[in-house]
Amino acid sequence: MQAIRSAAQEAAEDIFFGQSVVIWARWFVIATATILMLWSSSAMNQIVLAITLIVPLIAVNFFVHGRYLMEQPINRLLLIGLSLIDVAVITLIVAFWQEPTGLFSPFYVLYFPVVLAFAFIFPARTSLPYTVLATLAFAAVALLDDLSILGSSLNMERLVTRMITLAATGALGAYYWRVQRARRREAAAAEPVAG
Amino acid sequence: MSQSYAKPPTAAEQAQAERPASQFDAGELRRMIDSTQDLVHGQPVIVAMRWILVATGLLLLIWNAESVAMVRMQFVVILLLAFANFYLQAQLLMKRQVRAVIVYVASLIDITLVTVLVATGGGFDSGLYVFYFPAIAVFSVAFPTALTGIYVAATMAIYGLIGLLTPDASGLEILTRLLMIAAVAFVGNQYLRIEQERRQAAETAQEELLEEIRRRQQATSRPVA
Repeated sequence: MQAIRSAAQEAAEDIFFGQSVVIWARWFVIATATILMLWSSSAMNQIVLAITLIVPLIAVNFFVHGRYLMEQPINRLLLIGLSLIDVAVITLIVAFWQEPTGLFSPFYVLYFPVVLAFAFIFPARTSLPYTVLATLAFAAVALLDDLSILGSSLNMERLVTRMITLAATGALGAYYWRVQRARRREAAAAEPVAG
Repeated sequence: MSQSYAKPPTAAEQAQAERPASQFDAGELRRMIDSTQDLVHGQPVIVAMRWILVATGLLLLIWNAESVAMVRMQFVVILLLAFANFYLQAQLLMKRQVRAVIVYVASLIDITLVTVLVATGGGFDSGLYVFYFPAIAVFSVAFPTALTGIYVAATMAIYGLIGLLTPDASGLEILTRLLMIAAVAFVGNQYLRIEQERRQAAETAQEELLEEIRRRQQATSRPVA
């Protein structure tokens, strides 16, 4: 028989059950990055670099997915650490992976599933800083890549639009997480129909 | 994708398995109620997303002002969207249930609006396609899986077509964007299903708790405090 859940137990369950969301988001990112990097590589050193970047990500996600399937999901800290690595890797690809880089990098879209999945499993006090970090990382890379963006109204508009939509996706995920937590608590506290 | 675990069945699951076939209609009913409740609870998130769309639309409108006629027309469209969203927001504030079909149509309008903006703003070159991500994210957590699938597939097909029809568009880049739209929808829907299972487990636990209390009450013939 289960007792009503404490806040700590609920947070642990969020990570236990929600972890698959992060794992699948990472598989999507890996698959997409693999296709884009392998097919856009034109030189041998590029394709070798692409494989070198992708293989560790695949290995890590196999490990994490395997642990999840064995009902021994990774803990909160490791999950946060790996999610930070996801953002770092995407940012590096956006910054350095052949032209166009920075603001016009086609890899920018990889941030979306990662930020959304993270927002679904952590409370807002953890997920919102993560969303802000990803948004600022992209903005920083875009500006460092080409400072002339600041002088172009059209490019600034594009940058701001991208920042707003990325931040909005994370924030909406965090909002929905709160809605779901309230529903769960309601369900756990509700009096069942007598019968 | 929901995860199944090799755990022994709970008392409630055992009882469910031993029920006569005629009572399994209750499961169907339960799923329908769940689906309605998902939509009800997903609505505030959809409304919030639409406010973001309206606010960003206004920002871009002022930023990009090219001609008075264009600004006038775009402003009217944004204003209509804002009024429609205000109506939905008001229903939520008054705790009135909005008919599901209205929510679905409003969401269809959101996606159509983004698509029209993308198509008229340069197709593949338009940067406005990024608005698909928050829009698809909120639909995927509020709508039933089949409907999310239809919305997302239609969006992907139309956006893919717009991209391919744009001269000098990169096929690889279009594929990347489409895959990420699918990823956001998949992640949202998966979370929705995980939460459905968790909520059901919480309800079952509560029922088991009360059943245990009832059993002990009958055994001791004392009323529950």
